[in-house]
Amino acid sequence: MKETIAIIGGGPAGMEAALSLAGRGYKVYLVEKTDALGGHLARWDRLFPQQDPAQDLLNEMIGKVREADDYIEVIYGTELQYVKRRMRGLEVMLSNQTVLQVDAVLVACGFDLFRAERKEEYGYGIYENVLTSADLERKFKEKKVVCHDGRTPQKVAFVHCVGSRDEKVDHTYCSKVCCVTAVKQACEIKELYPEAEVFNLYMDLRMFDRYFEQMYHKAQSHFGVHFVRGRLSEVSETVDGRIQIKTEDTLLGRPMKLTVDMLVLMVGMQACAATAELAEKLDLKVSPSDHFFETKDLFLRGNQAHAKGIFLAGACTGPKSLPDTLQDARSAAESIHRYLTD
Amino acid sequence: MHERFANAFDPFVIPYMIGFVFVIAYLVGALCYVVKQLPLSDKKKMLKHLFSYKIFITVKDIFADCLLHVKIWKKNKLLGYMHSSIAFGWFMLILVGHIEIFFYAPHRVNLPYYPIFFRYFMMETETTVGGSVFFFLMDFFLLMVLSGIALAMIKRLRRRFFGMKRTTRLKWNDRLGMYALWCIFPLRFLAESFTSHISGGGFLTRGFGMVFDWFNQFINNDALIRPTWWAYSIALMVFFLTLPWSRFTHILSEALLIYMRNAGIRETSKNNGYASVEIYSCSRCGLCLDPCQMVSGASLRQMASVEFTRNIRWGQRAQALEAASYCLMCNRCVQACPVGVNSVQLKLNLKGADIQYRYPHRYDYVESDAANRPLATTPAWANILQSGAETAAVEKTTGEAAPEVVYFAGCMSHLTPGIERSMVRIFKAAGVGYTFLDEEGGICCGRPLMLSGDRIGGEQLMARNTEAILATGAKTLVCSCPICYKIFKDTYKLEGVRVLHHTEYLLQLLEAGRITVRKGAETGVYHDPCELGRHAGIYKQPRDVLYRVLNLHTTPYEGKDALCCGHSIAAEGMPYKKRRMIAKDALKKMTEKNVDVVVTACPSCKRAFAEIGTVGIKDIAEIVCEQLVLPQAQPQK
Repeated sequence: MKETIAIIGGGPAGMEAALSLAGRGYKVYLVEKTDALGGHLARWDRLFPQQDPAQDLLNEMIGKVREADDYIEVIYGTELQYVKRRMRGLEVMLSNQTVLQVDAVLVACGFDLFRAERKEEYGYGIYENVLTSADLERKFKEKKVVCHDGRTPQKVAFVHCVGSRDEKVDHTYCSKVCCVTAVKQACEIKELYPEAEVFNLYMDLRMFDRYFEQMYHKAQSHFGVHFVRGRLSEVSETVDGRIQIKTEDTLLGRPMKLTVDMLVLMVGMQACAATAELAEKLDLKVSPSDHFFETKDLFLRGNQAHAKGIFLAGACTGPKSLPDTLQDARSAAESIHRYLTD
Repeated sequence: MHERFANAFDPFVIPYMIGFVFVIAYLVGALCYVVKQLPLSDKKKMLKHLFSYKIFITVKDIFADCLLHVKIWKKNKLLGYMHSSIAFGWFMLILVGHIEIFFYAPHRVNLPYYPIFFRYFMMETETTVGGSVFFFLMDFFLLMVLSGIALAMIKRLRRRFFGMKRTTRLKWNDRLGMYALWCIFPLRFLAESFTSHISGGGFLTRGFGMVFDWFNQFINNDALIRPTWWAYSIALMVFFLTLPWSRFTHILSEALLIYMRNAGIRETSKNNGYASVEIYSCSRCGLCLDPCQMVSGASLRQMASVEFTRNIRWGQRAQALEAASYCLMCNRCVQACPVGVNSVQLKLNLKGADIQYRYPHRYDYVESDAANRPLATTPAWANILQSGAETAAVEKTTGEAAPEVVYFAGCMSHLTPGIERSMVRIFKAAGVGYTFLDEEGGICCGRPLMLSGDRIGGEQLMARNTEAILATGAKTLVCSCPICYKIFKDTYKLEGVRVLHHTEYLLQLLEAGRITVRKGAETGVYHDPCELGRHAGIYKQPRDVLYRVLNLHTTPYEGKDALCCGHSIAAEGMPYKKRRMIAKDALKKMTEKNVDVVVTACPSCKRAFAEIGTVGIKDIAEIVCEQLVLPQAQPQK
């Protein structure tokens, strides 16, 4: 057997990196804090830009991980306790008292969704018909996209950039995926309820990646989704439990009021809760500007942490879409391979 | 005692006289300049005050504040002693010196330098024994001043000794004045000691002089006499010449400030003569530095009030404006100022003078053609208000009874829907007939514009709101935001309408038994919002409400010493990063005792602290709403 690697996090990044390393003959311990693999992917219904079912991708990845069980050992319900440097490699102590002797550690702990309660003015947690994009996705998955009282929504508004590009919550960065997710979910609502009116309240639409612009186009031409440039100012509830929103159409320079049945907050990504703790245990650096892990550089060492033998992959180094995360995971595996064969 | 020199003159008095004449000229010029800037009514007040019996109060105040420094004593004993020993001691030296002249050389009263150099010009005779009281007094006060100077030197080196974390950093002009001041009295002491075998002296100067007499066996210390008097005179000259440009201008202007204040002159919305006197009265003592949260919480030392007054005094308008735009206007510095400089008002005035350049927007169009414009192009809030006023007026004419209460949530409460919802539930539970004036959105109360310096814009909003509020016919106005409350209470003219902050109103409902609450198990502390506490003086009511609903603990930061959340609407120039630093620091200080919840009574404070997320944050309305006991005994969640 060749060298051993511990991977922290069993989401898409962790799984993909594990598969790549296993393919090169390394022994991998995949440490997952919950009792299932998949991370945020497991909670998603369909994936942009082509509406592929998330479950299919997840099943395929988990199946491959199982097949590679000679190389990949998944340890569920466990977290990293501490790491000690040894003469050769690292000693990883887990919360279930297992001690692993490894040659490298890959951190792929992913991201947390922004807690929408922090923007009290948007009424999340106060008004029942205010949801987050993750809540809506769960509704799609459960095939029950209805308002709190069971009615079918006639009017739905999506609010972009909730907890992203917002100095007030100390998240000045863009979360990258919310724009396109909003377009995806808006189209899905229209597919489900063609009569419904759907609004997107955005500040910029960042349709940067392959097929995104086409989606945006289709949303307007085919589905008739309305796009209004303007940020939400406040939200209140009407007597019948609908949501009244105040915003401004900044292209027309006009304030507007809108009453909708469902308000969806496109919550952004933030560094996961374990970031600070892991940074301390593994001697990693955290960016003061966005609180994600820092890599050695953004080019040739984009997966290397500042500490020797520690690597980073996926959304723990900043917001990434799923394709980007998977690529990043493979590139992290390559980095580890180079490090171990050098 | 008799004179040593028939001509009563020595060249060393010349430097002193230069300084003396200069200071008198400066004083007269500055006084004219200040008075000229005042409006006529204030000029009359100044003149009238001179001949009113209140002048005695002014003299007393000047004595207490400028000489004894009673206010500094109250804040810091050692610092108080330092200031009063120098000021009062010096004053007594001058006073006793003049009395001495009257006794021994009445024909020299017209020579201004004579009391200063008295010991040089006069010599002791056998009959002077009767004057030993003067010798003693003069030495006693000299010792007092010397001890003050010694403390001042220690303060510069070890401010911790005075319990101060920070003190001002001095520029060269202040340093020059300060070093001159430090030199004056030790030099006087030396000069009088050297002369004491001729002039006589008290326990200090004669005592020390005798040591020199002993030295006289070896050197002729008479040769030291005139150079020391020269040095003394030059030190005085330097001090006087630098006076208009150093922090010590406050010695003169503080007395004028007290006079003007007692004459009934107040700061206005323009920085006029009174404001200049305030600015020059800042002694740069630095007592405002430690309370300033921009300094303690966000390392913004250059924004402190003491630096602001300095900037404005030296015409550094850009820096002064920046400091004004950063200031939270929490009033902690005003509270701390021993001279009573209202630097917050000065900042507001500066912003006001500048606003037309920074934001050249006017809202006149709302007034003139709001009614004629089609719905879509009129600003939304103009419509809202109009329709609000109209429907209210309609209700009135249709004979419907006016509601008991008009509730104005304000923009900040709109951003914290939890507060609004709790208030509505409480109104319903209490069975209060209310109208929610800005439920569908309303216009701003005007205070943010006022705090940004835009008085005209603010007044336009106020006129509109006044109309709408009066149209409801309600006799009580309840606000859940202290920012609105402050301006409704102090600036609006709402005749026949009681203005209440929701803390006051909740207490009234509780005391009248209109709502009942139960006491929860939560432990909490109360955070006094600046606008409600220091600005409006409401400290007791919220606590009276809170002890009924939770276990209320205290912190050292309550009442007038309450902290600011850092998210003041006045500080439009301060970046969020800095605001967050201040909020974090304040919350940390308030939660040193581990509590479940920090309760506040301002939507802005609530948002600021909720962001930090280390402890539960609730508005007083929310916690009361949670603990409501409804008549059917069904607890409402």
